[in-house]
Amino acid sequence: MARLLVQLKLRLLTNALRSSRPARISFIVSTFFAVLVAVGTFVTLALLRGQSAPVTQTAAVFTVFAFGWLILPLFTFGLDGTLDPATLALYPLRTRPLAVGLLAASATGAWPLANVLGLLGVTVGLARGVLGELTAVVAVLLQVLFCITLARFVTTGLAGLLRSRRGKDLAAFLVIPIFALYEAFTQVVPRLAAEGKITATTFAGIDKWLRWLPPGLAAHAIQDASAGHAGAALLRLGLLAAVIAVLGGLWIRSLDRALVTVDTSTQSSAVHGASLPFARSGIRGAVAARYLIYQRRDPGSVVRWFITAVVMVAASVSTIRTPHYHVALILSAVIGAGMLCIFQANSVGITGPAFSLEATALAGARSLRGYFSGRDLALAVIAVPLLAAVSFGLAAFAGHPADGLWAVAIDLAAIGAALALSSLYTVVLAYPAERRAGTPLPTAAGGHGGQAFAAAMGSLFGVALVSAPAILAVELTSSVPGAVRVPVLVLGAADYGIVLAWAGVRWAAAIADHRLPELFQVAARSKL
Amino acid sequence: MGEPAIAVHGLRKSFGTKEAVAGIDLEIAAGSLAGLVGPNGAGKTTSLSMMTGLLRPDTGRVVVHGLDVWADPPAAKAIMGVVPAEARLFERLSGQELLEYAGRLRGMPAAEARSRSAQLLDVLDLTADAKRLVADYSTGMRKKAALGCALIHNPAVLFLDEPLEGVDPVSADVIRRLLTRFVGSGSTVLFSSHVMELVEQVCDHVSIIDKGKIVATGTTDQVRGGKTLQQAFIDLVGTKASGAEGLSWLGSSSS
Repeated sequence: MARLLVQLKLRLLTNALRSSRPARISFIVSTFFAVLVAVGTFVTLALLRGQSAPVTQTAAVFTVFAFGWLILPLFTFGLDGTLDPATLALYPLRTRPLAVGLLAASATGAWPLANVLGLLGVTVGLARGVLGELTAVVAVLLQVLFCITLARFVTTGLAGLLRSRRGKDLAAFLVIPIFALYEAFTQVVPRLAAEGKITATTFAGIDKWLRWLPPGLAAHAIQDASAGHAGAALLRLGLLAAVIAVLGGLWIRSLDRALVTVDTSTQSSAVHGASLPFARSGIRGAVAARYLIYQRRDPGSVVRWFITAVVMVAASVSTIRTPHYHVALILSAVIGAGMLCIFQANSVGITGPAFSLEATALAGARSLRGYFSGRDLALAVIAVPLLAAVSFGLAAFAGHPADGLWAVAIDLAAIGAALALSSLYTVVLAYPAERRAGTPLPTAAGGHGGQAFAAAMGSLFGVALVSAPAILAVELTSSVPGAVRVPVLVLGAADYGIVLAWAGVRWAAAIADHRLPELFQVAARSKL
Repeated sequence: MGEPAIAVHGLRKSFGTKEAVAGIDLEIAAGSLAGLVGPNGAGKTTSLSMMTGLLRPDTGRVVVHGLDVWADPPAAKAIMGVVPAEARLFERLSGQELLEYAGRLRGMPAAEARSRSAQLLDVLDLTADAKRLVADYSTGMRKKAALGCALIHNPAVLFLDEPLEGVDPVSADVIRRLLTRFVGSGSTVLFSSHVMELVEQVCDHVSIIDKGKIVATGTTDQVRGGKTLQQAFIDLVGTKASGAEGLSWLGSSSS
C-alpha cells in the first residue's frame, strides 16, 4: 500500500510537469522555492554555530516549520489528491496500511525532502561530537515525521469542512494572518532590527515555552546530546516519539471515521436579511447591493481589502517616522487606491459566468451607466472609510495626526481615479480569470498574463498620474493655514474624485454598450 | 402561421477555421414549446447564445416578436428570458436575493421584484431554501433558481440551454410543469436538450441540429415520421459503430 500511494504521489507530481503550462510553471516555481528553502534553512541553522544561544533559535526554526506544516495543507487540500480521505473511501482498503501509505505519500516530494535537508543544518550549527551528530539526524527525522503526522491529523479531521464551501472560505481567510506575518517579517522586523529594538536576547524568554513543544524537544535533545547528557537527550527524543505515536493513533482513528462518515459538505445555514438593500435606486441600487453583499460574503473580496490596507501601511513604513513622513502619506494613499484599481480592473472577468444574468438583462448605455455607477458606489462605501482610516492611523503614527486630513483629500481623488480607470480597464482589457485550488484570489487564465500585467501597471501609474492635481494642490498649499486649507482640499478632492468616477462610468458604459456580448464571452470563460 | 415568436435567418458563426453554426433558419410560432436537439458539439449552445444576444453572429438575423435582437438589443432583451447551460449564478447571494436582483436588473420596482421572487420560489419548491446561499444549492436547485431569474420579468419568449441536465426527477418535474403552464398562457419556449423522451413528451415543435445545420424541423409528429423521436434522431444524425467487440472480458460470465 505504501509503495502504491508513493507511486501515486510521484505520478501526480510528474503529471503536473506534463499538463498545462501554468501547472508546469507552478511545479517548477514550487520546486525552485523548495530548493531555496532547503539551502536557506541549512545555512541559517549552520550559522548558529558559536552564537550565544543556538538552541533557542533552532527551536524557533523547528516551530516555524511545524506551523507551516499545520497551515499549508489547508490551502493545498484541493491540489494534493492524497490529502482527502474521501478520494480513497470507495476502495477496499484497511485503515492501518492506508495510514502508512498516506504517511509515506506525504513524505514524498520536493518539500518534505527540502525540510529534511534544510533542518540538517543543525548538524553544523547546534550538534557537537558523534553523539550530538547522531542525535541531530534522529531529531530532524522525528521533527519532520511529527510535522507530517500533524498535517495529516489536521487535514483528515477537517476534511469534511475543507470540502465544504464554508471550509474553503475559512481556508481563504487564513491568507490574511499569513500575509500580515509576511509583511511584518519583510518590512517591520528588518526596520526594528536596524533600530536595535529587536536583538537575539528579545527571544530569550520564548524558549521557556518552546522547549516543551515537540519541535523544542527535538532541538533541546540535540543540545543535551552535544553537552554529553545522553540520558536527557534520549528522554526528550522518547517524549517526542510518544507525541508522534499518540498523534498518529488519533489520526488513524480520525481516518477510520472519515472513511465511513457521510459527506455533509452541502449542509449550510441561512443568511440574515435576505432582501436586497437600496430598494429605491433602480438598477444602480440593485448592482450596488449585489456588490456590497459580495464585499462582505466573498472571502476573496475581504482578502483584497485587507491586502489593500496592509500594502498601504507597508509602503509607508520606511519613511513614516522620518521628517519626510508626508511623502509616506501621499505614497500610501496613491498605492492604496492603486490596489483598489488593480483588484477591480477586471471586474467582469472575476464576476465569471454569473455575468450572464447581467448581460441578458442589461442593454443600452443608460442601464450600463446604472451598472457601473452601482459598482462604484459599493466600492466607494468601503474604500473611502478604509483608506481614510489608514491615512489617519499613519499620520497619528508619524506624530502629526492633523495631517491625516489632507491625506484624506488625496485618498478621495485617488479613489475617484481608481474607480474611473478600473471601469475603463474592465471593458477594454477584460480577460478570463481562474481560481486555482489553494488560492483565495482568482488570477489571469492561461495566456492572459500580459493583459493582467498591463492592467496592473496601468492601474498603479494611471492612478498616480490622474491623482497628480490633488497631490500638487496639497504640496502647493502647505503654507496656507489648516482651517482654510483642509476644507478646501477635502471638498475639492472629493468633487474631483466624483467627476473622475462619473466620467469613467459614462465612458465605460458607452464602450460596454457595443461590447457586451464580447464581455460576456470573456466572463463565461472564467473558471471560478 | 402568423408572425413567428422567434425567426432566425441565415445565422452563422465560425471560431477560427471551425464553422460552429453553418447558416441556420428557424421559425417558432408564438405559444409553442419548441425543442432544439442535437449531439454534443452540434451547435446548440452557440445557436442559442446568438439568439439571446450573448454571442455576436458572423452573419444572420434573429427576430423575436418583430424585434431584431442584434439591431435593437434593449427592446429584444426586455421580452426575453434566458437560462444558460451551466446555470452559473451569483453564488454569494441567497436564492431570494438572487431572484430579486434579477427582477431589479430588469428595472422592476423592488417591492414587486420581492413579491414575484417569493411567488416563484414557492412554485419552484425553493421557499425553504430561500435564505440559503446559492453556493450551497444542488444542481437541480440551481437550475430552478436560474429559471426563476429568467421568468421574473414575465418574458414573452424563454430560451433554455439544457434545462434538465443533471437535474433530479422531482426538480425536473417542477421545471416541466412550470414550462407547460408558461406556454399555456401564450408565451413561447425554445430549449435545447439531449433527453429525447422529454422533448417528445412536452414539445409541439422540434428542430434537429447537426454539424451546425438544421437537418429537420417541424411539429414533433412531422419530425418523428411515425417513429420514436430517439430513432428519428439517430436515423438523421447517424450513430458510431459500438466497437465493443474488444471488451470480451466484460460481463459476469467472463473471468
